[in-house]
Amino acid sequence: MNSLAMIAVGYDGSPDSKAALRWGLSLARDVDARVTVVHATGLLEHLDATTPRDTTPRDVTDIAQECQFDESRLEWFVDNGDACSVLLRVGDAPRSADLVVVGSRGQGKRAGLLLGSTSLELAQHSSTPVVIVPSSERSSANGAAPRD
Amino acid sequence: MVLVVNAEYDDSPHEDPGHPERPDRAGAARHGVADLHLGSDLIVTEPRAATRAELSRVHAGGYLDELGAFCYAGGGDLDPDTYATFDSWSIATQAAGGGLAVIDELRRRDEGVGFVVTRPPGHHALSDRAMGFCLLNNVAVAAAALRNQGERVLIVDWDVHHGNGTQAIFWDDPHVLYVSTHQWPLYPGSGSASEVGGRHAIDSVVNVPLPPGATGDVVRRAIDEVAAPVVEAFDPTWVLVSAGFDAHRADPIAELQLTSSDFAVVARSVASFAKRPGRLALFLEGGYDLDALRSSVHATLGALLGEVNLDELSHGGPGVEQIARTQSARRSALDMLRATKDEDDFL
Repeated sequence: MNSLAMIAVGYDGSPDSKAALRWGLSLARDVDARVTVVHATGLLEHLDATTPRDTTPRDVTDIAQECQFDESRLEWFVDNGDACSVLLRVGDAPRSADLVVVGSRGQGKRAGLLLGSTSLELAQHSSTPVVIVPSSERSSANGAAPRD
Repeated sequence: MVLVVNAEYDDSPHEDPGHPERPDRAGAARHGVADLHLGSDLIVTEPRAATRAELSRVHAGGYLDELGAFCYAGGGDLDPDTYATFDSWSIATQAAGGGLAVIDELRRRDEGVGFVVTRPPGHHALSDRAMGFCLLNNVAVAAAALRNQGERVLIVDWDVHHGNGTQAIFWDDPHVLYVSTHQWPLYPGSGSASEVGGRHAIDSVVNVPLPPGATGDVVRRAIDEVAAPVVEAFDPTWVLVSAGFDAHRADPIAELQLTSSDFAVVARSVASFAKRPGRLALFLEGGYDLDALRSSVHATLGALLGEVNLDELSHGGPGVEQIARTQSARRSALDMLRATKDEDDFL
């Protein structure tokens, strides 16, 4: 049995979430896992009726192609809530993610702050293993990003 | 009957241009109060901020430290929805303190109804996290103060969003009963009917999730048919309301279809849960259409003070079937929780 059957990746369109998506897709390709790309819809986003929610964003499919990941094994999943709560829920049935991958910080965060950090909150509360992918600037500086 | 309202405080520096949770909201709510023309029957409390000890009953000390430091460092975005400014810490403690002041005044008078105009709102704030426009959980701070004095506190939350923060804070506390009607699915994604409280507080949570388009008649049935029997068994000594008015049909942030008069009728049902005079206080939560907020505050408080002036009541929307589904889901969840508890106790 594959112990990494499903990998969930938190995605908000930020550079760090794109880095997390690249990392998650590369890993999933190598271990033959499915990927659920998870987007949390907040209060303000609900106000914006023009935001597409049902279709996989072009950026996500582009990154999947870039990572040579089979798009038929990729699911775009949108749920209401703050990012931490939504990502905690994908660890539960019915999705039952085996691993959650997030960027070190998403939109609207100030560098270095612990308060409001989805990745740290998630790591603290999740019963599913969590991978926090270093910020794109830092990983390019120290070579911490996974190699394809 | 008197209306006890918290003192006005300058909440204008808690503002992010273009954000719907804005200072004009408090002004609209206070205009709704002024429209009642209460004269000497309007009691305004002394201004006060909640102390650290009062906040610490519901918030982690580390979170309070971080939030204060974040604000005094200039603030910024705490998440994609929630902002803070340099002054937000001071303003948020005034909001939480306003609730405590209103409760103290009601207790002293043994009469009247309380209304707390709070910005920023509070019911999404968790013990250790700001979210959903909320920094400090104002209604939870008040409920914890009452609980600390031996009271049994009912919190009714009719905001269009589930009050995940309040529910989480009192999840396993048998002295606080949390009742919520809310649109679902919608932010924050919690609030299913099967959430019924923790192992030590079985049946201390009542959630009635409602579909988009639900009208006031469904909300009234949720309160009268689903919540009322649980409330009766709980026998509260105080009733607090997370009074969001974003379930109004004019509100841009969600899709329930209540009118201002619907809030008034629901408020009367909720008021009947308070068995003594001076044991009912409403806390402003959401509500982002200023005209709807003003008229809803006016209608709601007017109804609680005995004014009968109801206009249109909404009815016929979807969600009636949700009442029976909620009852069924609650029964199953309660049976499972009780069985698990019995098994654990036996072992």
